[in-house]
Amino acid sequence: MQRISIDPITRLEGHGKIEIFLNEDGDVANTYFQIPELRGFERFCVGRPIEEMALLTNRICGVCPEAHHMAAAKAADAVYKVEPPPTGKKLRELLYSGFYFTDHTTHFYALGGPDFVMGPDAPVAERNILGVIHKVGLEIGGKVIQARKYGHTIVEMIGGRKVHPCTSIPGGLTKGITEDQRAEIEQMGRWGIEFAQFSLQLFNDIVLANKSYLDLILGDIYTHQTYSIGLVDENNKVNFYDGKVSVVAPDGERIGKYAPAEYTEWIAEHVEPWTYLKFPYLKKVGWKGFVDGKDSGVYFATPLSRLNAADGMATPLAQEQYEKFYSTLGGKPVHQRLAIHWARLIELLYAAERIVELATDPEITSPKFHTVPTEKPTEGVGIVEAPRGTLTHHYKTDERGIVTEANLIVGTTNNYAPITMSIKKAASSLIKKGTVNEGLLNMVEMAFRAYDPCFGCATHSLPGQMPLEITIRDAKGNSVEVVKQYC
Amino acid sequence: MNTGPINIVEGDQVRNENFLPGLHQPPSIIIIGLGNPILGDDGFGWEVARQLESQYPGMSNVFEIECASLGGLSLMERLIGHKIAILIDIVHLGQNPLGTLYCLPMEQLPDYSVGHTASSHDTTLRTAIQVGRSLGASLPDTIWVVGVETTNTYDFSEELSPPVAAAVPCAAQCILDLLNQFCIPAFKGE
Repeated sequence: MQRISIDPITRLEGHGKIEIFLNEDGDVANTYFQIPELRGFERFCVGRPIEEMALLTNRICGVCPEAHHMAAAKAADAVYKVEPPPTGKKLRELLYSGFYFTDHTTHFYALGGPDFVMGPDAPVAERNILGVIHKVGLEIGGKVIQARKYGHTIVEMIGGRKVHPCTSIPGGLTKGITEDQRAEIEQMGRWGIEFAQFSLQLFNDIVLANKSYLDLILGDIYTHQTYSIGLVDENNKVNFYDGKVSVVAPDGERIGKYAPAEYTEWIAEHVEPWTYLKFPYLKKVGWKGFVDGKDSGVYFATPLSRLNAADGMATPLAQEQYEKFYSTLGGKPVHQRLAIHWARLIELLYAAERIVELATDPEITSPKFHTVPTEKPTEGVGIVEAPRGTLTHHYKTDERGIVTEANLIVGTTNNYAPITMSIKKAASSLIKKGTVNEGLLNMVEMAFRAYDPCFGCATHSLPGQMPLEITIRDAKGNSVEVVKQYC
Repeated sequence: MNTGPINIVEGDQVRNENFLPGLHQPPSIIIIGLGNPILGDDGFGWEVARQLESQYPGMSNVFEIECASLGGLSLMERLIGHKIAILIDIVHLGQNPLGTLYCLPMEQLPDYSVGHTASSHDTTLRTAIQVGRSLGASLPDTIWVVGVETTNTYDFSEELSPPVAAAVPCAAQCILDLLNQFCIPAFKGE
């Protein structure tokens, strides 16, 4: 049996790798995607006040601290059984929309976009954000930086700090915003709408107008028929901050919606002996292995799954794009995983529109941004949509509000099973009779890049451009070929 | 666990008198302690920055010093407007024992281990710097990395391992030596 290892070379060498085992015919028998787990977070939380979780958990990683801040804050609301006033909720959602705007922009232009803007076959030295800027022009590169700055500014205005917000407390926020700040946020949001529309046009011109790219998106290699999940509001429209988690089957049937406190009735975790991490799956459907279909409890949680799990977008321009998306790709739900990139841009537009909606809400500058908790703390669950998947925080406390138990299901963990399946499918289509296609490295990378995996929650770090090393071993375990890709 | 003498690897240019020719005025310098303060040895950068701040409270008049959990584009954006940057972080080169201190220009480190390249969906700092420069951002001409060798960053903890903790004062001294090289009057007794 041949064995192929793909090792992301990190400063934590020896961890985080893809192993591909070939059968005696030289075809792919199985793939194992192993990522190391940060240890001891639950123990670290125990004994600390619940109010501290929103500050502590946003230190889990530097990638989506705002998402952890919000999930922990909502869990703390639930622990104290306190409802933030409308202004408190709206300010949190406004902050969160600013975060989404920055995060989705970064992913499209810095990571996902290069595959399409530069092309999957472009030299690795060009297949990065520098290549994108070179191709689309410096002016657009400047807009990307401007978009990030605006998102960061909104987070700082409401969250008190850039990147790591600190103002959410049980019952709402510690501060509101002034009229001047509101006006500035509105202006940034309006600019953001134009930028998001421009980004969608760019995707349209460069990707959708190119038949080979469209074929790649629609091809079987990146397609999986799994369940889709995502937060929706009371009208079943996509919402990043609040609502219930909608669960939609591969055939499009909504099998239900669950409130945060009900998550343990819906989500269970499967254990495999070859990895530290657990594989979440739909409890009501059951774990049937790494397989597609309505009988398999595997689900995914990404921008695409959020669109699949909802009935539409709550803002008009994003709704137009939503309709175009499904009419172009042949109706709901869409299972082609590379379409996640397109779905992400539709969410970018929604985030910008939502910034304007919230910034022009008459209540947004109200001083009533906090409800004082009066109940004894007990237990609570908070769920938000992190850009890369549904994020669940669950805490139990004693009567003083000191944490006694903590459980987190982070965005990327949701996608561990489908990412594993996507890698296997990509590898299987590229390795035939022991011959490793030269495109393997990037094609495998593309398989999991679409999910925007953030191992920051599950691992410590990976380098920005995912350098990979493939070692092909013969039946005796001898290395016969090593392919390296250092970016 | 190694608690012996601290190894210090310094870049050749540290002692080169031609380094930064013509730099007579106090430059705009930023010192950033990078890392995650609740992930064991990853809190190294923060601890060094804190020690510098507490030992030399007047330093903020001379340059900026802060702690951050940033990487890639976000870190690049934070460096805009400064002429010199000193980044304090952990490094894993695997060539020297745990606790070994490195004091190197960024270019001397492999791209994948520089700074806090936190995730698979951002870019490396070096690429981010290229992006920033290509867009006309005013970024430091000189970026130094003061890093400590470790792999103890998988367990949530606010404690540094003994060899890494032992390297903290040495790292602070390395930074003071660098500042002297950069002709900062406050650190030349002027």
